[in-house]
Amino acid sequence: MTIAADPGASAVRDFVFARTQDDRERHLLPELRRLTEHHRANCAPYDRVLRALGVPAGDPGARIADLPWLPVRLFKHHDLASVPADAVFKTLTSSGTTGAEVSRIHLDRQAAADQTRALSRTLQAVLGGRRLPMLMVDTPSVVKDRRSFSARGAGVLGMAGFGRDHTYVLDADGRPDPDAVARFLTAHGNAPFLVFGFTFMVWQYLYEVAARHRFDLSQGILVHSGGWKKLADRAVDNATFRARFAADTGLTRIHNYYGMVEQIGTVFVEGPDGDALYCPDFADVVVRDPVTWAEQPVGVPGVIEVVSALPRSYPGHVLLTEDLGVVHGVDDGHWPGKRFSVLGRLPRAEARGCSDTYAESQGDKPA
Amino acid sequence: MMIRQRCPAGPDRELDGLLDELAADVPGGPLAVGDPRIADFLVGFGRTLLEPALVRRHPELAPLGFFLRRAELDAQLARIAEPDVAGARLMRFPRGLVFHIPPANVDTIFVYAWALAALTGNRNVVRVSPRSGAAAELVLDRLGAALADAHPAVAATQKMITYDRDDRATAALSARCDLRVVWGGDHSVDAVRRAPLAPAARDLTFPDRASYAVVSAEGWLRAAPDERDRAVADLYNDSYWFDQAACASPRALYVVGTDADAAETRADLFARLEALLAARGEPLDPAMAVHKRVAAYGEAAVGRAARLDFRAGDTLAVLDLADPLDTPRGWLGAGAFPAATLASLADLAPMLGRRDQTLTHFGFAADELAAFATAVAGRGIDRIVPFGSALSFAPVWDGYDLPREFTRLTTVGRPAQARR
Repeated sequence: MTIAADPGASAVRDFVFARTQDDRERHLLPELRRLTEHHRANCAPYDRVLRALGVPAGDPGARIADLPWLPVRLFKHHDLASVPADAVFKTLTSSGTTGAEVSRIHLDRQAAADQTRALSRTLQAVLGGRRLPMLMVDTPSVVKDRRSFSARGAGVLGMAGFGRDHTYVLDADGRPDPDAVARFLTAHGNAPFLVFGFTFMVWQYLYEVAARHRFDLSQGILVHSGGWKKLADRAVDNATFRARFAADTGLTRIHNYYGMVEQIGTVFVEGPDGDALYCPDFADVVVRDPVTWAEQPVGVPGVIEVVSALPRSYPGHVLLTEDLGVVHGVDDGHWPGKRFSVLGRLPRAEARGCSDTYAESQGDKPA
Repeated sequence: MMIRQRCPAGPDRELDGLLDELAADVPGGPLAVGDPRIADFLVGFGRTLLEPALVRRHPELAPLGFFLRRAELDAQLARIAEPDVAGARLMRFPRGLVFHIPPANVDTIFVYAWALAALTGNRNVVRVSPRSGAAAELVLDRLGAALADAHPAVAATQKMITYDRDDRATAALSARCDLRVVWGGDHSVDAVRRAPLAPAARDLTFPDRASYAVVSAEGWLRAAPDERDRAVADLYNDSYWFDQAACASPRALYVVGTDADAAETRADLFARLEALLAARGEPLDPAMAVHKRVAAYGEAAVGRAARLDFRAGDTLAVLDLADPLDTPRGWLGAGAFPAATLASLADLAPMLGRRDQTLTHFGFAADELAAFATAVAGRGIDRIVPFGSALSFAPVWDGYDLPREFTRLTTVGRPAQARR
């Protein structure tokens, strides 16, 4: 089978939030259909799943929403790769909620390059083309050991390339370092600068420190990710987060993003209005009814499926996540395509069985 | 080590205090096997489980209610009474303190084992999992209510407690008990066994088990439609109660017969099950739906399932086994049936081992089942019971006769002559 020699180039164009939903069906669907056949031909376990489901060879679906999906957790239990073992250049692992469960995502050299470029084109849409001075809301320790790609370390490392003159908001022991932030702002605070971190850390360490020290972050562009669960305890939702940052630090350019290691390089980014997440042109989302798995109408919550033309070295182009979400509208927002929100995570199904009477409580230790 | 007192309910307290209380004199004298103070309490408690409103909400509690009727308890006591032989007597006494570690989420199984241990006069500490489900909470509620009318000896000797991950608590209880009853996965048993017992104490373990359903195609096709519907309702209860995760829940379904008969049987059986599920209209919890998809796709990915068929809003998943004797023994979620056809029941024998517990059957003649048991020769399968009885707790469980395990014998008079 022939496939586009450089899918990164075909998938990622200049401004990656440009395709209407019809454009996606017209241009993205054929790529995804080719990818499905590519993975069937090169990943036997994937082909076995599709055969068991009765998906006809050569015709995986007439619409993006018809394409067969894999549950994302399958990558925690099975090694799924569409490249020979000796072509694997990098294996990424996710941190699971329980320490034992970790996804393993295999990238060959091409896939590694594609995902870096795709991420870069996506973020350029909000950051512009220049590398900006960068404030990392994390500790330098998180990237010390480059061989252990923890999700947090990988995130920080992956983002570092988008900035320069990196300053960490926390010291090596994980304590807030307001003096470092003050020095950074003195040097770079009068022109656009980049701020990156995980949502709860941005709130706990940057917001609280900046508000207390009356730091001026009005030139900052914040890119953050990681979910709202930890902040829900503090009654901080996205609207509060944005309002408080704006009122107390002057920071208004805030972009939440949504992505996962199982679809590395693909991120869904919050639009400038902060109203919803948008899909880059090489990606899409489908929100599904958890009973029928049919696509939900706009406005009806369901389970999020993430779709991306990037994954070529493993069959991760159509993945059913364990996140709940809702599509707010199609082609009616700041950028074209679907706009959606992530509402939270599905709880884990628990074996109500004779098993795990006692060991289960041992598994609750933080990973 | 602080523990939560679930029944009798009370403020959190030190485990040591509870253990000292259990070692103290029992009000009204020590408990005996079949002690009326305990029996009356069990009967009163069992009656509350049969209230119609409760049975509607928690049908799985009804069998427990029946199990605790006076006649049933008396029958158990009569069964273990030792006859006098030639002037010698064997007297049966409680073992003493029994420490139960029941399964986290099969909500009621611990009640059966505890009830038998109590009926046979033991003092009991039951560690109820902090993750226990709604039915377990209800049982604890009802137990508490029944305690109000019970002899004070009951509250003094029967303790349901909860503690989170705490090896010290398990160690302290293990060191003081005479019998430790451990349910649950192999990992749980291994973890608990790291805590030593007193030299004369022993373990009764119920590790990971797997169970299966078998249907005779001939028997099925001979059966009238209403009989098939009853069989499917029984299969539903066996499987969907406890989300198919109990040791005795069938984890695969085998149809025995010619290919043509088996195909017809299978199609009819699953169509009836699908209709029953649709009629019940209980949607699958989304987390369970995802879990089932993950598990089923995984079986397809490794080549164990050749075909996946999700039906009735995913409440039913049928996985065609590529090799009938290579079936996933693990839990695939509620309503997942690896399925295959066998030419004869004996074809199942080679795959069975100690792990395999219950075979629920439909449509076989008694001699066919006996021949099968002979073929397996005790290497596995402790129970061969009809559809609908998978979860019926019996005092003989996993090959152990529990009332006997919970007691010890004292010889009085001239010892029975051993032949030399």
